[in-house]
Amino acid sequence: MRGAALVAGAIGAALLLTTALVWILEQYLGVADASPAYLLAVTVLALAFGTVPAAITAVGGVLVYNFLFTHPLYTFVVADAGQLLNLVLLLVVGIVVGRLAAAQRQRAEAAELREREALALVRVGRELATRSDTRTALRAIGEVLAQRLGEGQTWIALGDSATRERGVDERAPFQPPAGYAVLHRQPGDVPPRWTIVRPPAASGSSGAQPGDGEAYRVPIEAAGRPLGAVWTVRRRCAGAPSREETRMLAATADQIGQALEQDRLRSEAISAELARRSDAVKTALLESVSHELRTPLAAIRASAGTLADGGLGGDDAHQVAQSIDDEASRLDRLVGNLLDMSRIEGGALQLSPEPYALGDLLDAVMRRMRPRLAGRSIALDLPAELPYVMVDAVLLDQVVTNVLENSVRHAPAAELRIAARAATAGSGQPATVRLTIEDSGPGVPDEALPHLFDKFYRAPSHSSRGGGTGMGLAVVRGLVEAMSGRVAARRGDLGGLAIDVELPAVEMPEP
Amino acid sequence: MSGARLLLVEDDPQTRHAVARGLEARGHAVEEAEDGAAALRRWEARRPDLVLLDLGLPDTDGLSIVRRLRRESTVPILVLSARDRERDRVEALELGADDYLTKPFGMEELHARIGALLRRAAGPAADAAGRVVIGPLVLDATRHEVLVAAEPVSLTPREFELLKVLVSHAGRVVTTGRLLRAVWGSSYDTETHYVHVYVSQIRRKLAAADRSGALEGLIANEPGVGYRVGMPDPAVS
Repeated sequence: MRGAALVAGAIGAALLLTTALVWILEQYLGVADASPAYLLAVTVLALAFGTVPAAITAVGGVLVYNFLFTHPLYTFVVADAGQLLNLVLLLVVGIVVGRLAAAQRQRAEAAELREREALALVRVGRELATRSDTRTALRAIGEVLAQRLGEGQTWIALGDSATRERGVDERAPFQPPAGYAVLHRQPGDVPPRWTIVRPPAASGSSGAQPGDGEAYRVPIEAAGRPLGAVWTVRRRCAGAPSREETRMLAATADQIGQALEQDRLRSEAISAELARRSDAVKTALLESVSHELRTPLAAIRASAGTLADGGLGGDDAHQVAQSIDDEASRLDRLVGNLLDMSRIEGGALQLSPEPYALGDLLDAVMRRMRPRLAGRSIALDLPAELPYVMVDAVLLDQVVTNVLENSVRHAPAAELRIAARAATAGSGQPATVRLTIEDSGPGVPDEALPHLFDKFYRAPSHSSRGGGTGMGLAVVRGLVEAMSGRVAARRGDLGGLAIDVELPAVEMPEP
Repeated sequence: MSGARLLLVEDDPQTRHAVARGLEARGHAVEEAEDGAAALRRWEARRPDLVLLDLGLPDTDGLSIVRRLRRESTVPILVLSARDRERDRVEALELGADDYLTKPFGMEELHARIGALLRRAAGPAADAAGRVVIGPLVLDATRHEVLVAAEPVSLTPREFELLKVLVSHAGRVVTTGRLLRAVWGSSYDTETHYVHVYVSQIRRKLAAADRSGALEGLIANEPGVGYRVGMPDPAVS
């Protein structure tokens, strides 16, 4: 209403001013016919308010001029045909200029709308393009839409059907309303239409209708699969979203659909890549293991063949049989490590950690390893007052065995030192016992140290002799970490490789 | 120790054949059984001096054989088990098997275990006075006394009980669970760490008293299974 009053006032003011101008022109400056001055008012009104106010101004101008300035004065009678033509022209020009100006203004408004729409879509696109996490991006997009659509609420929900959709923004819990209009889109140029799915009246007492607005749902799809929807709830009097708003909602839904599809493809690509890498690992395993399996098998078959030929003296036969036994043990250790590795990786390790005196456990390993460590100088350095360690005895046995095996393989004649110390616990750090096993062998290059516990890794200086599957120390790390411990390699004080195994310590109450 | 009658229960013909020939080469008489049913038939017919039992049998659970034999006899049972059947192994020992070997094993190891079990079965560990002697160690059950090199070692009552159980099963594995129940009582079940701690203390005390070092490794830890006191070598004791 205020708008209409403003226009009426503007028309009145324009007519008044123009009439005054015409009066001055005709009365004082001697212009014979100043009626074109009304053209000015008509043009201004047309530019400012559109065709209808311009036409009213034109008619008004014609009437006022006719009334005040044409003979007979103060009547609406037009005596002069020329004057009449003038007036008609004024009217026509007023209407045409008004229409042109109004069209121009509409175009400007439409351009501005499109610009805002494009801006909103650019923001949507940017959110999706730069997303690290789609869910966060969708929350931001929800905010962009809410801002653009003004009053009312906007949600983005994901799910494969309207009833199973869940809002992406946990801060504003979302429940799909019972009744809503859904945007139907058809391929080609057919403009999308809103279709009421269930009338809001049917929602009954479900209470799912948020506020007292009308809900509009724009489905998000990718490759024909429903993925979710953009929802907007508007006040009843606001009516359905305009063409522009609809277009923006639809475009946003499309972009989200594409983004979700990208996510899916990417995660599929990642699984494919993981599968490929796992295949590569399996190939490496096969290559490494088949070599390690064949070597002892070759020795065993050769020895067995020699024995079968007969003709070997007692001592020689015994030696050959002994080599069969040694090679079979080597195979057994390899199979054991393979089994451990698959248990570690398959999460099938069965752990029963109990408090043990580390010395007791080392004792068992050393006893078993004695034949393989024969002839080496071994220094044991275990303080009497060492805290108990919380470990699985079988796994720790395997850990120490593998570390010793590694030394036997790569530094066969080196001195060996096995030491344990209670690690000083920092504040808030759990107490640990550090077991260090080091040898005076060739060691490994510093750059190889961090990789020593990687599966199938073989330090460069080692590959020339000894071989190995690169599994023993990987199993060490897997087992130690399973027991909540840590393992590290460094250059030792004896010049060779030192391996530190940190194990959780435990205070034992007297039983 | 030769000339014993052994029952070998093993389903894999290659392994069975090789092990049997190896045992025969040491002078034992070996009965072979390829499954549980055959094992029980041979057991009924021959009553061997020692049973070598593979736990993974095609027809029955090896554990049920252990249970059955233990109901009837104290015949030494040496369990042969695969590496991935750790639980079965402990359970077999809990049911009364005397020792175990993990496959694949070396024949030397097998001969040593069989020898220890046969020696153990041949005579009581304790003499008439209830004394057990292992090298420099003497455990006197009646006087509640432990001597190392003729010097008394002060053990708490629980430590003494624990050592007594281990020593009286010398040459055999005693599971942690059995030690716990034997020393602390049948209501104890999960407090197996008591055993580890006490064994550790006993070791420390024995090591302090044993200047000769002859008792080093007397109580051996069998990781994940239990403890074993080394059988005195007949030449030493």
